[in-house]
Amino acid sequence: MRNSNFKYVLLLPTMLILVVTTILPIFQVANLSFQRWQITRSLTPQGYIGFDNYIRAFQDADFLNSLWVTFAYTSMTAFFSIIVGVFIAVTLQRSSFWANIVKALLIFPFAISLTLRGYSYRFMLLDGQGIIDTILDFFFPFMSDVIWLANPFWALFWMSAALFWAWGPLGGLMILGALNNIDRSIFEAAKVDGATNWRTFTNITLPLLRPMIMVVALLITLFSSRMFDLVLTMTGGGPGRATETLNYFIYRVGFKIFDMGYASALAMILTIILIFLSYLYSRMLLD
Amino acid sequence: MTNPSTLNKTRKSIANLWSAVVHNVSLIIIVLFVMFPIFWIAISAFKLPVDVKKPSIIFQPTLQNFQILFRDFDFANLLWNSLIICVFVVLITLPLAAMGAYALSRYKIPFKKGLLVGILASQFFPPVVLVLPYFALFRRFDLIDTIAALVIINLTRTIPFSIWLLKGFMDTLPAEVEESALVDGCTEFGILRHIVLPLSIPGMITTGIFSFILAWNEFLYALLLTGRHSRTAIVGLVNVVGERDVPWEQMSAAGILVMIPMLIMAFAIRKYFVEGLTMGAVK
Repeated sequence: MRNSNFKYVLLLPTMLILVVTTILPIFQVANLSFQRWQITRSLTPQGYIGFDNYIRAFQDADFLNSLWVTFAYTSMTAFFSIIVGVFIAVTLQRSSFWANIVKALLIFPFAISLTLRGYSYRFMLLDGQGIIDTILDFFFPFMSDVIWLANPFWALFWMSAALFWAWGPLGGLMILGALNNIDRSIFEAAKVDGATNWRTFTNITLPLLRPMIMVVALLITLFSSRMFDLVLTMTGGGPGRATETLNYFIYRVGFKIFDMGYASALAMILTIILIFLSYLYSRMLLD
Repeated sequence: MTNPSTLNKTRKSIANLWSAVVHNVSLIIIVLFVMFPIFWIAISAFKLPVDVKKPSIIFQPTLQNFQILFRDFDFANLLWNSLIICVFVVLITLPLAAMGAYALSRYKIPFKKGLLVGILASQFFPPVVLVLPYFALFRRFDLIDTIAALVIINLTRTIPFSIWLLKGFMDTLPAEVEESALVDGCTEFGILRHIVLPLSIPGMITTGIFSFILAWNEFLYALLLTGRHSRTAIVGLVNVVGERDVPWEQMSAAGILVMIPMLIMAFAIRKYFVEGLTMGAVK
């Protein structure tokens, strides 16, 4: 490790940009979170009110609901992404001509904007007209009454699907990398000892993959907990408030109800939660 | 009577056949899962309004939807705006992130861990509430509704991610060469310029394309902070969808336009990208 002052020259421009465009605005928001500022009343903040905005948050059923929705959404997405990811990794571990071609396709969903993903899934889920709806109604006739995005559970599920459609394959690639790093001889030893494929998988493969699965899970948690785009394009938070994530709730408070003081306090709360999560994440990556 | 060894062989070949079937069926499931939505948007883009809600892949193809996008929604201009924004974002991100990543990878820095976490954590502040401070900031510098404003906003996202990706990459480069160059009297800037940067080209390409995709797909700020002069293709997509009676065939056509360039780029960097994301984790 070198230690000359050249490092400060290297870091200066980045730090300058981050301070002006991220740190200062965050302090501004932190400052606003202690003030009353309803834009409908006046264009300037209306004075300090201490922790009132924070206290209000924890008495606000909509806030608690959005906290719950965010939690449910995030865990659902992480869960399905990992199932899909492990399935993909285990399948592609066996190399074949087609496996290599399939591997090359896996990055595609991730490159597609969330906005487009949201609209596309909404389009494919249209009741009686969308292609996914048509196919599912064919295979599961008893579900043909369900209007996917008008049902609280399914709306959340499909919003999650639009996300694990990308994170599943990406997680699969990451888990595959870890899988290929495992020493082959372990599997051969298990085979010699007469372990079935399933037992090898649950008792050897999965435990060895655990660290990478945790990393994937945390990455997904961090990305999906700030979800906004999919809510706006797929459900608008509905039915009712069933898919209103914290970030979308903040958007509604700030830009529909125009209560910027309260929105700022909500943002600070979400940030504290996320900083805690990224702390966990960096502990895993750096140690 | 068959003898036991043939029976064993048959059993083995049945087991092999079975695992080959499982393997190939699994592959088909994966391909359907990954590609079907893309395929469906791709064909819907060429459908007429009467066909778009029918679950059929046989229809009279048309280019009408694309014509509407370029004629009524000014898509040529929107794509151009997106392109310009992304090019500037990449051109500014790469040198700054390379410098930052190099410093974090090779130098002793007080509170380095905290700094790295902070750079990452800044990405998880809810973007919605930053709209207001940004609006105030840009008004002061008369940058409302300009390409420059969107470039600056995107930098706040691309630089942190790029530093993380590039630092992971640079950590894997051997430091010994640099040390001996230093002993031989090479300046520190010279080392960065002549040794580290050439070796980092794969990492730089990955990071550059990743930043491009990130900026291209950015939605919230583009939606809330742009007007007539700096609207991006993603915002164009939102305008095409509108409020009610969504013209899904036009949405699909717009989807193709914003999606295809990104698919090509992602395909180009697929290998390095996954390595970059998991760099720290595998070690």
